[in-house]
Order: sequence, then structure tokens, then C-alpha cells
Amino acid sequence: MKFEHCIRCTICVENCPVFRVNPDFPGPKQAGPDAQRFRSEKDKTVDHWVMLCSQCKRCDMACPSGVEPAGIILRAQQRYGIEHPRTAAHLLFANNYYLSRLGSVTAPFANLITATGIGKKILQRAGITSYIPFPEFSFRTMKKQNKPASPGRKKVAFFYGCFINFYRPDIGARIIRLLESFNIDVVLPPQWCCGLPALGNGNLALARHFAEKNVASLSAYVDAGYDIVYSCTSCGLCLLNDYQGIMEIPRAKKIAENSYDLHEYILRLVIEKNIRPDFRAVERSVAYHIPCHLRALKIGYPAAELMKMIPGVECHILDDACCGLSGSYGFKKTNEATAVQLGGRAVSLIRKTDSSAIVSDCGSCRMQLGGLSGMDAFDPAEIICESLGIAPRWKNSKKNKKKKETGRVAAF
Amino acid sequence: MSIIEYDVIVIGAGVAGLTAGTLLAEKGLKVALVTSGEPTACLSTGCIDFCSGKDNPEEAIAGLPAHHPFHLVTSKQINDAADDFRRKMARAGLSYWGDTSRSRLVLSAIGTFKTTCLVQETMQASPQNEQEKIHIVTFAGLKDFYPGYIIARLKNASFSTFDAGISTTMGIASLFEDESFLETFLLWLEKQNIREDKIAVPAVLGLESAAAIKNKIEQHMERPVFEIPTIPPSMPGRRLFNCMKDCFRRAGGVIYWDWQATGAEKSGRVIEAVFTESQGRPNSLNAKAFVLAAGSFVGGGLRADHHGISENIFDLPVLTAGKRREWFDQDYFSLNHRISRAGIVVDESFRAVESPWDNLYICGAILAHVEALKNGCGHGFALATARAAAESLLETRR
Repeated sequence: MKFEHCIRCTICVENCPVFRVNPDFPGPKQAGPDAQRFRSEKDKTVDHWVMLCSQCKRCDMACPSGVEPAGIILRAQQRYGIEHPRTAAHLLFANNYYLSRLGSVTAPFANLITATGIGKKILQRAGITSYIPFPEFSFRTMKKQNKPASPGRKKVAFFYGCFINFYRPDIGARIIRLLESFNIDVVLPPQWCCGLPALGNGNLALARHFAEKNVASLSAYVDAGYDIVYSCTSCGLCLLNDYQGIMEIPRAKKIAENSYDLHEYILRLVIEKNIRPDFRAVERSVAYHIPCHLRALKIGYPAAELMKMIPGVECHILDDACCGLSGSYGFKKTNEATAVQLGGRAVSLIRKTDSSAIVSDCGSCRMQLGGLSGMDAFDPAEIICESLGIAPRWKNSKKNKKKKETGRVAAF
Repeated sequence: MSIIEYDVIVIGAGVAGLTAGTLLAEKGLKVALVTSGEPTACLSTGCIDFCSGKDNPEEAIAGLPAHHPFHLVTSKQINDAADDFRRKMARAGLSYWGDTSRSRLVLSAIGTFKTTCLVQETMQASPQNEQEKIHIVTFAGLKDFYPGYIIARLKNASFSTFDAGISTTMGIASLFEDESFLETFLLWLEKQNIREDKIAVPAVLGLESAAAIKNKIEQHMERPVFEIPTIPPSMPGRRLFNCMKDCFRRAGGVIYWDWQATGAEKSGRVIEAVFTESQGRPNSLNAKAFVLAAGSFVGGGLRADHHGISENIFDLPVLTAGKRREWFDQDYFSLNHRISRAGIVVDESFRAVESPWDNLYICGAILAHVEALKNGCGHGFALATARAAAESLLETRR
């Protein structure tokens, strides 16, 4: 931790989305390096506002002195989580993986509960808000795929993440076919939640538990010559950054060195092997909302580079606004106002571009922005698949229903 | 290893880096910009100082010491830089007032006057002398602004306090973007029975639509309104940065956020690539030419330690202006600390002297002999040298 390097320039504060709209949060400078001076190992932590940080990492990215305020706050959040009784919402979201498994096994029933009035009331009692509809569980999840690789071909182990697995396996299936269209053998290794939801809800032990299982599973694939490809930017950031950092998982370095964002991986192939993908025209004007965690991955915006190659696609890059949902953060009652205001700002920036659809790598950004704006929100991979003629094999029930909840948007 | 081959890599996202990057991208070059964190421009008042020594900045520049790098820029380039900047900012929705032949004063938060050249529209009505009658509106609990300092210096000033419910610059600025808040504010303002000729507010009038908000208050109160720059977080500085960033993007430039450049791959007389820190794997970016605009000490371009002053990306020779014990004046507030002369010495082509690199151009605060505080040449110097360096780069390519 480099809190001594802080020169108090407040660039982090200028970049903090939560500080902009929630006066209860003192901002990354005070919550991070400033308060760190007073956090003693002996006393119980009292700074409850550390839990108001959404871990978007914008302060880390903005700091010219390399202080990483979000990293300091993340550690304070873990301590706060251990020392204080956890709220129901924190407990539920930390265990999101298990809940989602349950939800997807009982999909029709679980969806009914989260969508009806009674279900919503129960959730509200637990401190969980529903200003945007909950994502629908998919009964169909990603199936194991472990066919032997053909010699000489590139081998990829796909870390699909919980969002694709439990809510949008149709996108996962298209991504596999997208990779295969570049002559890559794709396997789906045994995998668990990356651990980020547990970390975000102050449960380091549970996060470590997930991380260790993932590292054990993925290491074997790296040793066998596979590259790991992730499509969720938050999972990716956790694999690359938090496993080595706060979780201190042995062998995490090897995982980090061999993990690639899906679009980064494809872009590398295209440029290094001088491949000219058969991109057919897609007449779309899209607002590309850059997820905060894609910025934090420090790989640039590879999906934007790919979309630039597609004739007809007009892509407006928006990387100044956080969508406000930040995984489970915005679903908590205490953060609802923050999430709605930030989402509203992000939506108004999107509207200024006159785009017909939103594109974002992150499932929760899409959920928030699609929910608040009523616009279609796609994964960049869906646009690329559309251009390459990789059609969806089945449709998620969600897509057939027109989104009803657009009343909130009128406010922005 | 770089996945994309660029024509030019710019290091530094400050006024110099973004200006050079935009000019080169407009000429059709494939430009990427790397930055470690956000630039000190975000902390600035957003005012563009060219040279504050005289009433006429152009004359002041001509009067700078002979070795000052401003002399490497022609007066045409200086004018073009200012014109181009004003035009681009206006297009991005941030109008600037002023020109390089006349200095302009801006009332500061401690009641003194700062000499500058180009100002944002929200500061255009700032008083030009101590006699003007102004009414200051401040906000309850706002820690970064004390009207008492100004009242103590200007005898024709009074103040009143509005309770916005939030006591931070960022928070109030974001409330001003909301129309219903602005209406409440105007209703309150009406009742203050203001008799003075002008209304002053700390620089909190929104982030994206500051000029429009200022105009609404002016229309409602029927007299000029102006912002007084505050200490960071500085909304005018952020407006400047956001708009310059948009210009660069619109010209086709790509920004890699928080890529700390750590070294360079060299061969013969050319730089082949810069190495950067990244999550997971080390990264590097290849290009045909490089622009170093990493700023001075605070910006991170120069580094001072017990052994001397160094530039750590390309390991260029740095003019250190004497031994370590001579770097600082005894008087803390002195403008003559010799360390502020430290930097890279360049020739007319904006390439470092005594260094072999043919494709490395340098501009902005990292240059030697700038003494930005003493000479009052901050962002204006950055604009001008960035333009000159970009033109030199284009000339060599041809």
C-alpha cells in the first residue's frame, strides 16, 4: 500500500462517481490514503462509509502518483466486513454464485419470485432494491465442453463467468462459435465464481475460496498449453489483479500472464497473423459504454478496434461515466439513489450520441443501462458475431418480452 | 509486444500531449496516447497563460531570457496555437475568450488578481480592477472557498451564503447540472437584494454545461456573473481536460489510461517502442515516432532524488541547473528556485540536444528553462510548443 505517496492533489476525487452524487461518501482521498493513517491494527474500524465505495477503480486509474485509493479502500472494506455483522444484502450478494445456481436450476420458479410483487417485497426487506428488473435466470447453463484439441491449433480455455452462465448462456454459446471461427479449439474448464462479488461485499475468505478453486482448475489448462480467455471484464480484472494482489493466491501470476480479454485475444490474432475476417456490413450506430473495469484492465479498448473494422458500424466511445450499478452495489437499498443518479447521467450521455443501441462488455452495465433507457444493450461480441454471420442458436426468453419498465427514464 | 503498430505514440495527457496528439491525428496519422494517471491540467484554473510579464503576452515572450524555449516557437505558431485552441474548444462546447496580444486579469479566491491570457466564458466578466462592485455568492460549508479573503482586499465587495445541502465543489457542480436545483437557486438569489454590478460565484457552475448555467443566472439577475477559480478539485480544469480529450478522440486518437511508460526499446538512432506497466503481462507499444509531453516533476516527467534529476523513460540528458544544494532558494515563496529550470534542452526541431534519437520530439513543461511560475507561461507554452513539435515531426516525415 502506497498511501504515503499521496500528494493530496484530489484528481481521484474529481473522478469518483459516488462522491459526485452521495454526500455521505467522503471520496477516495479521505476514505483511502487519508483515513489509512488512522486505521490501527488494534482498534475496531468505525468508518462505515468505506462500504459506500463501489470499487469502480476510477481513482486508481486517475492517480498520477500511483497510490491506488480503491485498493486501500478495498482492504478497509474487508476489515469492516469481518468486524461488523453483515447485512442480509451483503450476505446474499457475496454468495451470489450459489444463489444463482439455485436460481437457474429452478429457473421458471425463481424468475417468478424475483419478478412478482411479493418477491420484490421480500427482497426489499432484505435491503435489496429493484428499480431495474432483475436479470432472468436461464435454465440452460454453459455445458462442459472438453473435446480433445487438434494438434497445431490454438487452444483456449474459456472463463465465461456467472453472468453468461446463469443469465445469458446464449451469448456464451455464440462466443464459443466466434472463437472456433478463428480456428481455435475451445474448452470450458471447471470453474466457479471469480470471487469479485464476495470481495465487493466484504467477504475475503469466501473470495479466496473461489479463487483457489479457479486457480487450481485453470493452472492445469495453462500447463497444458491453453490460453485463458474471459469475456466479463470484472471477472478478468479479478483474475489478473485481485488474485495476485489482495487475495495473495499462489500461482496467480501464471494465470494473469496467460489470461486474455476475448476481444484482446481476437485482435491479437487478427493483427499478428494478418487475418482478414469476413466482416459483413452491420448498419448500426452504437454507443460503446466502456465498463470501468475494462479501463482498469489496461488493455485499451480492443472491442472498439474490432468494431472499427466492421463496415457500417458507427461506434461512439463513452468512457467518462460509471453506470452506477457496479455488480451488486446498486441493488442494495443504501446505494439505490447513487446508482439511479449515476445511471441517469450515463444514459443522458448515451442519448447525446443519437445511437440506436448500447454496447458494453459488462453484463451488469448492460443490465443497468438497458433497464434505465429501454434501449437494446449488446455485448460487443454480439455485434461481431452478427457481422460474421454467427446467429444465435436459441433465444433467451428475455429477448422476446419487450421491456416494460421504462417509466423511470422520463426523469432523465 | 505491441498488437497495433502506431505512427506516433504521445506520452502524457496534459495540454501539450493532447494538443500534439490531436494535430497529428488530424493529419491522418495513427496516434495513441499513454498516460500514467490524469494530468495536472485537471487541477489548474483552466486559464491559458502565455506569458504574464507584460500587458501584451507577445511582447512578454519576446522579452524572455535568450535560452527560454519559447524562442524556438515562431510568433505565427503561437497565434495559430491560440486560434486553433479557441476554435476547437468552442466546437467542443467550451468557449474561451481573449487573444495573445492582450493580458487579462482573473480575480482569485484570495482576492488577488491573476494575470492570464485566454479564459473560459464563465470567467470572462471577472473584474479588471479593485474598484469594481461585486457580490459574492458562496455555499454553506464549502471548505475550499472563503469569501472573507476577498472582502478583506476589495472594499466594494459583499457576500451572501446559499445552502446547497452539499459542501463539496464536485457535489455542488453536479447539482447545478440539474434544472430544478438551478431554479431554487435563482429564487433564493432574487431575494438577496443585490445592489452590486456583478455577481461572483466560486467555480462550481456545473461540469458539462457551465456557460449555459452562467447565462441563465445572468439573464435572471440582469447583470454579469463570473466564476472565481478555487483550489482543486477544480471544475474549470476538468472542463478543459474533458474537452481536449474529446477533441483528440474525435480526431481519431486512442488513449491508453494509466499506462505508466517505464522504458524504451531503441536501435541505432531511433526509438522502436515504449514499455508500459499493465495488469498481467508487460506491454509495449511500437511506433514510427514518439512525442514526450510527460510534464515536469508533479506531472511525473522528471524525477529528482539524492543523486540528481533524471528522465526515466528514454533516459535523456537532463539540465539540472547546478548542484543539489543550489536547487532551492532560501525563501520558500521565491520564484527563483533553480530546480524550476531543470528539464530537457531541445533544438529548433524539438528533439533533445546531445541525444541520438531522430524520432523523439519533446514539448511542454518537461523542457528546460521554462520556469512556468516565474514567467506565467503554463498552458499557453504547452499549446505553442506542442504545435511546434508536431509541425517539426510532420516536416521530418515528409
